[in-house]
Amino acid sequence: VTTLVDILINGISRGAMYALVALGYTMVYGVLGMINFAHGEIFMIGMFACVYAIGFFSVLWGNQVVVNLVLGILVAMIFSAAYGYANERIAYRRLRKAHVLAPLTSAIGISTFLQYFIFLTVSRDAVNFPRFYSDFLTGHHLSLGPVQVTYLQITILGLTLVIMSGLFYLINRTRLGIALRATAQDQLMASLVGIPVNKIIAFTFILGSALAAIAGVMFSMYNNVLVFDSGYRVGLKAFTAAILGGIGNVPGAVLGAMIIGLTEALTTLQFGSEWDDVTTFAVLMLVLLLRPRGLLGERVADKV
Amino acid sequence: VRKLLLYLLPALVIAASFVVAGCGKGGGDSKSIKIGLAGVLTGGDGQIGASMLNGSQIAIDEWNAKGGVLGKKIESVSLDDEGNPQKAVSVAQSLIDAGVVAVIGHFNSGCTIPASRLYNDAKILEISPGSTNPQYTEQGFPNAFRICGRDDQQGAVIADFLHDTKKFDKIAILDDKTTYGEGLATVVKNAFEAKGGKVVVFQGVGKDDLDFRANIAVVQGSGAQALVWGGMYKGGGPLCVQMRQAGLNIPFVSDDGCQDQAFVNTVGGTAPDVYVSFGKDYTSQPAAQAFVQKYKDTFHRDVGSYSVYGYDAAQVILTAMDKAQSTDADKVAAVLKSQPFDTIQGQIEFDAKGDLKVADYVIWTIKDGKLQELSPSP
Repeated sequence: VTTLVDILINGISRGAMYALVALGYTMVYGVLGMINFAHGEIFMIGMFACVYAIGFFSVLWGNQVVVNLVLGILVAMIFSAAYGYANERIAYRRLRKAHVLAPLTSAIGISTFLQYFIFLTVSRDAVNFPRFYSDFLTGHHLSLGPVQVTYLQITILGLTLVIMSGLFYLINRTRLGIALRATAQDQLMASLVGIPVNKIIAFTFILGSALAAIAGVMFSMYNNVLVFDSGYRVGLKAFTAAILGGIGNVPGAVLGAMIIGLTEALTTLQFGSEWDDVTTFAVLMLVLLLRPRGLLGERVADKV
Repeated sequence: VRKLLLYLLPALVIAASFVVAGCGKGGGDSKSIKIGLAGVLTGGDGQIGASMLNGSQIAIDEWNAKGGVLGKKIESVSLDDEGNPQKAVSVAQSLIDAGVVAVIGHFNSGCTIPASRLYNDAKILEISPGSTNPQYTEQGFPNAFRICGRDDQQGAVIADFLHDTKKFDKIAILDDKTTYGEGLATVVKNAFEAKGGKVVVFQGVGKDDLDFRANIAVVQGSGAQALVWGGMYKGGGPLCVQMRQAGLNIPFVSDDGCQDQAFVNTVGGTAPDVYVSFGKDYTSQPAAQAFVQKYKDTFHRDVGSYSVYGYDAAQVILTAMDKAQSTDADKVAAVLKSQPFDTIQGQIEFDAKGDLKVADYVIWTIKDGKLQELSPSP
C-alpha cells in the first residue's frame, strides 16, 4: 500500500509538471486554433535561463538561496516570454491567414531550430541544476503516515493549482478574458469592436511561455539534470495531455496531464516503465474514440 | 509540364552535384593516411565519448610529430554519432566515403554494432575503446577489435561484488533499454541468479527519461538490498540523486557507463554507497603520467576515464600498421592478433575474436570528490 501511495504521489507530481506545459499548448490553441509545437523548446529555454541566471547572481552577490532562486525564475520567465513572443512575431503572425498546415510546419521548424540553437551555442552536454539551490526543497519531507512528500512536490502541485485557477479566473471573469475569448471566436469581429487582436495574441504567447519557464525550473529541480532536448519529450507528453483533456480548455489540460502522469506511474508499478508510452497513448486513443473532443472539450475540433 | 520542369531542374542539378562530389571523394588523397574517430561527442553522454577520442587524438599527434606512419602524415576525421544508432550508421558511411583506412570508435555498443557491419563490408579496421557489449566481437567480423573488457566479464564482477562481498541476496536492476544497458543488466541478472540470489525488480526505463521516482518507489517496496543501474550516466546520475532524495539508502551499483567525472558532478562528491565497475585505474599509474600531463596541456581539462583507452587504441593500430608495413585491414588485423603490445594498460594481447585476452574489471567508489578504486591494487 505504501508503494501504491508513493506511486500515486509521484504520478501526480509528474502530471502537475506536464500540466504547466500543457496550459501553454491549450491557451494558444484556444485563441489561435494552432498547435505551437515549439512550446517544448520554450520550456527548455526556461530551464537553461534559470540555471545560468542563478550562476550569474551567485557570482555577483554570493549564494543567497531564496533571492537567487526567485530572481532565477523571473529571468527564466522573461527569457521564455521573449522567445515565445519572438516566435509569434516572426514565425506565426504572417501565417495566420494561410492554410492551417503552414503555421504548423513553421512551428515544427522553430522547434528544431531552437533545440539546435541551444545545443550549439549554450551547452552540448547535460547541465546539472545546482543542488545547493534545490536541496532545501528536495531534501525536506512532509510525512503523511508512512509516506513522505517532498516540499518540491508540494510546491509543484500547489503552483499548478494556483496557476490553473488564476488562468480560469482571467479568462472567464476579467475584461482581458472577454477580449481573449472574443479573439478566439472571431478575430475579424473582435477587431471591429476595438479589441487589439495582435496584442491579445502576443499576450497569450507571452503568458504561456512564462508558465512554461516556471514548469522548466520545477522540472530541472525535480530531475536534477537539463539537456538541450529535454523539451521535446515533455512537450510531446504535455501536448498529448492537452488533447486528452480537450484542447483549448484550461481545466481540461490539467486533468489530462494528471491522467497521463498517473498512467505513467501506475504502468511503472504494474508492467515496468518501458511500457510508459504504450499505455499513455493507448489511454489517449481510448479517450478520443469515446470523446473525440477530449474529456472536457467543448468546441468541435474542426481547426486542425 | 512547365511547372514539372521547374521542379525537376533543381532536383537534377542537386543530384548531379552529388555525383560530382562522390567522384571527388573516391579519388582519395595519397599524401596522408586517414583515420576515423567516431563516438558520442554531444548530448547527455558527450563528455565520456569526447574524452575518449581526445586520447586517440593525442596518440595521432605524437605519431605525426615522429613523422607519421609508413612515411605519410596521419589525418584524423572526427565525427559525432550523438550516441544514436541511426546516426552512427550514417557517420560510418561518411567515414567510409572519406576514405579512412581504420576507425577508432564508436563508444556506445548500440552504435558500434550497427556501424561495424558497414566497416566490415568496406574492409576497414575498427577498434572500439569503449564498447563492452559482447555481441560486437561475436559477429565474426575479422577486422573488429576492442581494447576494453566485455560485459559478460563486467557483469560477473558486479554480481560477485553484490553476492560475495556484500552478501546480498535480493537486488533490483534498472536499465536504459539501450543495447549496452539492457545487455549488461541481463548479464548481471543471470550471474546473480546463478549464484542463488534473487532479482526482485528488473525493468527498463525510457532512454530519455529523467524522472525515476515511480521506479524508485517500486524498488523501495520490493525490499531490494541494492539497486543496479545498467546504462549511461545521463540517466544514472539523476537516478542516484533521486533515490537518495526519496530516502532509499541502499547501495547504488553501476557500470563503466557511469565512470565519468560528469556522473560524480551530478551525484555529488560525497555521495555514499555508490559503486561503479570499471577497468583498473591506469590514469594514476606512473606509466600514464606523461600522457595525463599532455592531455591537460592540450585540452585544458583532466583526462576522462576512457582517455587512456582511446590513446591505447590509436597507439596499437598505428604500431600494427607500422609493423605490417600496410594499411590493409586484413594485414593489420593479422599483426594485431599475432603479438602482444605495450600500452598504458600494460602488455595486452588480442584473441581470435578481437577481444582482449585479459579483462581486469574492479569496483570503484566515490572518494574525496572523485571515482577511485574501492581496494586499490598494489
